Amino acid sequence: MGLKRVSTALSALLVLSAGAALGAEISGRSSTQLLWYNNEFTENRVFEAAEYLRVNVTKIDQAGKLSLFAYGRGAQSFGPDHDTTGRLYSLYVDYRDLADKADLRFGRQFASNAAGFALFDGLKVDLKNIGPVGLSVFGGRDVVFGLDGELGNTWDTDLGISAYLNGFRKTDLEISWLRKWEQSETARDTLGASFKQYLFNNVKLYGNTKFDLPSESFTESLIGTKIYPTSDLIFTAEYYSSYPQFDTTSIYSVFAVNKYQEALARADYTLSEIFSVNLGYNRQWFGEGATADVYHVGAGISPIKHLKINLEYDKRHGYYGSMDGGIADVEYEINKNAQIAGGITYDVYLRDVLTHEEIARRYWLGGKYKLAKNMALSGRVQNDVNARFTENYSGRLVFDYDF
Amino acid sequence: MKNKMFVVMLLVLSILYVQQAAAQKESHKEYRDSTISECNACHKSEGIAPNHDGDWIRNHRIVAAKPVNKCGECHDQSWCLDCHKGGGIGADFKAEGSRRDFAPSSHRSDFINIHPIKAAGNPQSCLRCHELKQCNQCHDKFPKGNLRIKSHLGLGANGQWYSPQSVTEHATEARRNLQSCASCHPEGDVCVQCHKSGGVRPHPRNWKSDNWKDRTKGKVCLKCHIPGTF
Repeated sequence: MGLKRVSTALSALLVLSAGAALGAEISGRSSTQLLWYNNEFTENRVFEAAEYLRVNVTKIDQAGKLSLFAYGRGAQSFGPDHDTTGRLYSLYVDYRDLADKADLRFGRQFASNAAGFALFDGLKVDLKNIGPVGLSVFGGRDVVFGLDGELGNTWDTDLGISAYLNGFRKTDLEISWLRKWEQSETARDTLGASFKQYLFNNVKLYGNTKFDLPSESFTESLIGTKIYPTSDLIFTAEYYSSYPQFDTTSIYSVFAVNKYQEALARADYTLSEIFSVNLGYNRQWFGEGATADVYHVGAGISPIKHLKINLEYDKRHGYYGSMDGGIADVEYEINKNAQIAGGITYDVYLRDVLTHEEIARRYWLGGKYKLAKNMALSGRVQNDVNARFTENYSGRLVFDYDF
Repeated sequence: MKNKMFVVMLLVLSILYVQQAAAQKESHKEYRDSTISECNACHKSEGIAPNHDGDWIRNHRIVAAKPVNKCGECHDQSWCLDCHKGGGIGADFKAEGSRRDFAPSSHRSDFINIHPIKAAGNPQSCLRCHELKQCNQCHDKFPKGNLRIKSHLGLGANGQWYSPQSVTEHATEARRNLQSCASCHPEGDVCVQCHKSGGVRPHPRNWKSDNWKDRTKGKVCLKCHIPGTF
């Protein structure tokens, strides 16, 4: 495993060096972060130094079609639970417009279609300009991140195939298939479809469904509409249902489950640059008579030019418990280079297992200062006061350098 | 005559619609630095729904899940990975993120205690970022009996056995949120004690056993059944 990481890093360095030698454009961000927090499992304090790096190498070839993108993290924690970790989020080579018909992407990448999504080490090919239908195929080794490293097996693989309408401005239609193998066994086998249609200049209809082939059931279905009489007023209505399925390799995949259903109505209105408001209601059905109602109210207020206030209130009651709480954040731009912000989250919840309500509070303060056009220093400190802690301070200090 | 009129109308409407629909989608790269209100004013004038609005985090799924989408014209892939795979390079100081893996705004206040309520909702929403194995990883670190689960309270050495009254309740609970069972019992050993062959049948109506046999060579079936009997 270690050898694999070293070879991956070396390959990246080689490609970067070669890219630089060829006169490619290199850009990206280095984010150096110091974090301190409480380990939730051991309750020890952790102090951690982390380096995030995102590198984009573009115009590697003369035609500007070949690029390389990489994003990763290395971290060293100190204290009783000290450890060294790393995570390679993505590292891929991108080649666009091959014969004006195909875009290719090779390496670790995130891809999705109407049937699902995957992070994988492999190849994605998008066929385009072949008529009104486009085709997309991706496949490779499945990558799953755990708490301290990668989970899963070497030969867990993904394969996704999609066909979709191409070039229609107001219509999207896609049919996809996604299969995941856990070693030699088929863990997931899903067909997916999604559509979007604009009507009358102010209506959007959309939907998505996933059909699980082993259980021969629709595991997810969504149908929704957005009505937008102006660009500042949006009404949303959705119906969603889900029939949860597990990997076929899991014993849980053979158990009967209830269908979950949800209906949602929401309105978002921006009255002016000073005030915006949103309201939402969500009704949930869990089967066998269990239901829950969720209400949401939110507002954005900007009483003076550089001051923004964000307020949210949510209330849930019904099956499995209740939750009642709000968020209040204030943000002030002192000048072009400096910002400060702070906020409170206050939630009162009652799970059906509890005999009394519990309260969770979070207080935070933060700020950002641009040292130069491409350099910024930011920080945040928060204190969590809840059923588990009378005080729990955590925070981070970040130095971002864009190159 | 009426039928002919209907066909002609349908054809005319189709032609009008295709003309409108077939207009090409345009690249958004040049609008990368526009403000959201500028984007949405232009969208509205073109009949396209405003996006990146207050509902965007919940609602971006269908747009972003397209195999060829427009997200990449303004965002690097790290933008997706920060929320979906625990990155942190784009974490804003206004967002919670003082732990190793960046937490999106849906993970508010004391999420460790609140997440059972959230997870009881849409059972797919957690899985858009987390594998079930990740639930097991966390839950494994807590001593058995430390988690507060209504139907498990009260009995057994660690206070985590079902009481006789809760046997029927556990069936209902399991059907409503089977993922919560799997998050502590990944192999389902406790389930198999009662649900094995000859016990309480766990399968749904219209059970398609052949589909499992084909895909797993009967491996999962053998957890409860004797070879040759299923």
